[in-house]
Amino acid sequence: MSGTTEIDPAAAKAEIIAYAKKRGALVVGVADLAAIERIAPPGHRPSDIMPRVKSVIALGVGGQTQGAWSVPAKAMAYFGSTETRAYSCAYGLSFFIENRFQTPSIYCPPDMDNEAGPRVPMQSLKLHAELAGIGARSLAGDILLHPEFGYMYFASVFTELELPADAPLAENPCPAPSCVDMYRKVGQTPCMKFCPVQCLSGRIDDAGRQAEMHYDMAACAEMTQQYEAVPAVIAAALAAEDAAARTDALFDPDNKMLWYKMSVGSGGLLAQCFECMRVCPIATRAPQADPIRRSKLGS
Amino acid sequence: MTQGLSRRQLGITDAMIDAYGETIFRLSNNHQIRRGDPVRDKDFAAIDAHRHELGMSDAEIAARIGLLSAQVTFIRNLEERRRFRTGHYHMLNRLGGGRRFRADRMTPFQDHFRYSEAALGLRAALAFDPERVRCYVERGLWRSDTLRGWIERHARERPDAPAIIDGGRVITYAALGRRVATLAAGLYHAGVRPGEVVAVQLLNTVEHLEGFLALSWLGAVMSTLYMTFREADLAAQLTHSRACALIVPEAIGEFRPAEWALAHRGELPHLRTVIVVGAPPAGAIAHDALAAEARPLPDDLPVPSAADPFLLLYTSGTTSAPKGVPLNSHQMLTNARLGIVEHDIRAGDVVLSAAPFGHLYALYSVQMALCAGAAVLLLPRFTPPDLVKTIAAGRASHVFAGPAHLAACQAANSFAGADLASLRLIVLSGSVVPPDLVRAVGPHLRNGTISQLWGMTELQAGLYTRPGDPLERAATSAGRASPGTEVRIADENGRAVPTGGDGELQVRGPSVFAGYYDNPAATAAAFAADGWFRSGDIGSMDSSGNVTLSGRIKDVINRGGVKYNPQEVELLIERHPAVVQCAIVPVADARMGERACCFAVLKPGAALDLEGLCAFLTTQGVAKYKLPEQLKIRAELPLTATRKVIKSRLAPSA
Repeated sequence: MSGTTEIDPAAAKAEIIAYAKKRGALVVGVADLAAIERIAPPGHRPSDIMPRVKSVIALGVGGQTQGAWSVPAKAMAYFGSTETRAYSCAYGLSFFIENRFQTPSIYCPPDMDNEAGPRVPMQSLKLHAELAGIGARSLAGDILLHPEFGYMYFASVFTELELPADAPLAENPCPAPSCVDMYRKVGQTPCMKFCPVQCLSGRIDDAGRQAEMHYDMAACAEMTQQYEAVPAVIAAALAAEDAAARTDALFDPDNKMLWYKMSVGSGGLLAQCFECMRVCPIATRAPQADPIRRSKLGS
Repeated sequence: MTQGLSRRQLGITDAMIDAYGETIFRLSNNHQIRRGDPVRDKDFAAIDAHRHELGMSDAEIAARIGLLSAQVTFIRNLEERRRFRTGHYHMLNRLGGGRRFRADRMTPFQDHFRYSEAALGLRAALAFDPERVRCYVERGLWRSDTLRGWIERHARERPDAPAIIDGGRVITYAALGRRVATLAAGLYHAGVRPGEVVAVQLLNTVEHLEGFLALSWLGAVMSTLYMTFREADLAAQLTHSRACALIVPEAIGEFRPAEWALAHRGELPHLRTVIVVGAPPAGAIAHDALAAEARPLPDDLPVPSAADPFLLLYTSGTTSAPKGVPLNSHQMLTNARLGIVEHDIRAGDVVLSAAPFGHLYALYSVQMALCAGAAVLLLPRFTPPDLVKTIAAGRASHVFAGPAHLAACQAANSFAGADLASLRLIVLSGSVVPPDLVRAVGPHLRNGTISQLWGMTELQAGLYTRPGDPLERAATSAGRASPGTEVRIADENGRAVPTGGDGELQVRGPSVFAGYYDNPAATAAAFAADGWFRSGDIGSMDSSGNVTLSGRIKDVINRGGVKYNPQEVELLIERHPAVVQCAIVPVADARMGERACCFAVLKPGAALDLEGLCAFLTTQGVAKYKLPEQLKIRAELPLTATRKVIKSRLAPSA
């Protein structure tokens, strides 16, 4: 592949954004690589997996119909997840950059760090997206929100193509004015109040901005990350008192769902929980989450 | 293993885990605190200052606390594994569509299903033969009826129709639905949970009826206590039933049941709550407070099903110690639903029970009224004038009574000139129905008739005559099987007896109980080898299926090898002008095996001796071997709530 000296970075960025949006991205940005390298801990920096990386492109995919936010929670768990759409978009974008600009690119692995185990991502897609200006941290466990697109899933592309970086969002849309009002009255925002495992808390300052965000990720994981249920089930079976209890531990209806999910590779799964987003005015009323409305707005 | 190394190879000890586990867990991203918005602001100084609060990498933690990174990874994962609990997503399942989680309204599923040991034991006692269950479901007999479902339906379809008439007070179905839901919530917030038994000792009052319905609404189980019960009987039944709560009046005569129960809590380990209709003593709860409960039932409390335990009633115990009979809605409400057509009960009718609600017979009448959308007319305490007056004032269409009730009215001449025009049917049950009583009362019913019903706690209504039957049939027969019920007359070996022959009445059907609660010996004795319930009653069946009962097997007297049932003799003795009531029981005899002893209650001022009694019976055509050989005069006989004599409590030697 050739170098990037003949490429106009701004024009390349425009082409990249256009391609990603055509592939379904709602919003695309380029993060400040130096800032990422400065903030991410060793082992989790872009240069740790792509030493010659010059740019980190973050994109967001998502959008739910209004109806989607009102379906039963267990149904929401199935179609609330749009991360695979984000990943496929980023996957295509990495090929696009290589083909169009002959510059090595990778689709950033969106997975956990196999040396550290679950709950430790290899790369923080959140950090990329935040610095790329396509989302800001919310009181809902730092889920990124966008003032126009609401709640999205994010994916990243690393490339040796040098692109001009975007700035983070100038304003954080969280907390929304209605959430501030609620906080003033009851001491909680909707996401805090309605979290089924009560994993959220925090404080809003006098100016209506986030002062503190407290997130009990361990509690959240018990609700949303069923992969840990699998070894837990097997451990329970091993510790069972007798053969009948052992069989029950493996084959009870809950656990059979786990085996089913594993067998079919279903990822949007058993217990993805969207309750904090279901009550979030930014997520549920994002003006451009609706593709029809978006097209009318000419976005 | 971490990165291919075992715990031992990593040098991790239990002491190390104990010392650092909590710290590592908290320093990692399992608990995150972010102050301000430093990443968006690119405020690196703030990020560095608070990095540890947002969650450190294993390497950073290792550097901070002086362990190796791999050791931190191992310990962190171990801690996460130790703390991880499965099954939280059940909360999502309970949220449904559009509802929001609220900690104060959410009970973990496991807690919802955490039936007490007593509740599970009671549920286990409803162990029906699966083949019979399949049969009842497939035939449409068990249709998942519940009282709650019926009330909700009537509240919707006929909200202004009267559901309960208590003197001049009328409670409509709409009001009943609200009142019962409120009381159910009150019971719940007083600690009563689905599946638990609540004992009730009340007259036929609004509180009793609504209590029954509220317990059913909640999924709890009512166990009735007869009003005559005092310390020993109460303690025995409360203990056996594992009742968690007791609903009683302030006083029953001189007896104050709540105070007694509170004073004996130590001997009643399951009893947690005492509820009093009236002024509660310290430590008890006022029924009025529960009936005004402002908090609703939890949104996610399961709605009771027809298969849930519904009633735990105790047999009359005329011949032995009481036995607990667990019943579910399938059994009782199927029997009632099919009964309304047979008894000609319709929406708008008015049903009165002279029998106490403590007895299943009375509850049967209530269930039928609620099924049909009729009204329950309350008669809190029976007296002949009150019964007649209530029938007239409430325009009762149906009266469910015991023979003793009608006999008392007849003796008091209460029916003469009374307004009984609204009555279409009087059903008699609970004890032996004297034919002459039916023949005497029948003509008073200008627009109605009398039917006889045979039932037991173990099966509710098994046989009855129908309104279209001739009066003489109701006088002499317990009638035909209720819909869905099968009856047979069997000999000692369980073989069917030819038509007209005497034998034991045996029953099978959708209302028949599964077994006694916590009494496997009694259960085993109650059923024939092929699963038919042995009623213990002796009878014969005619070619039309009408059954005539002639006594109880256990009452049979074996005099020198000649067996006879004393019931016919008892009926004749009660015709004697000096006798109010009598019972004949066997007395052990060295030569004859058994001889008959007659216990009798005489009318005031009357006298009777054995010689005179036998002379009277002889004129009535009684065979010599059936004549009593002892006569004991008593001021009163021990009676059940339905005024049956408890023969087991008659001691001939006394």
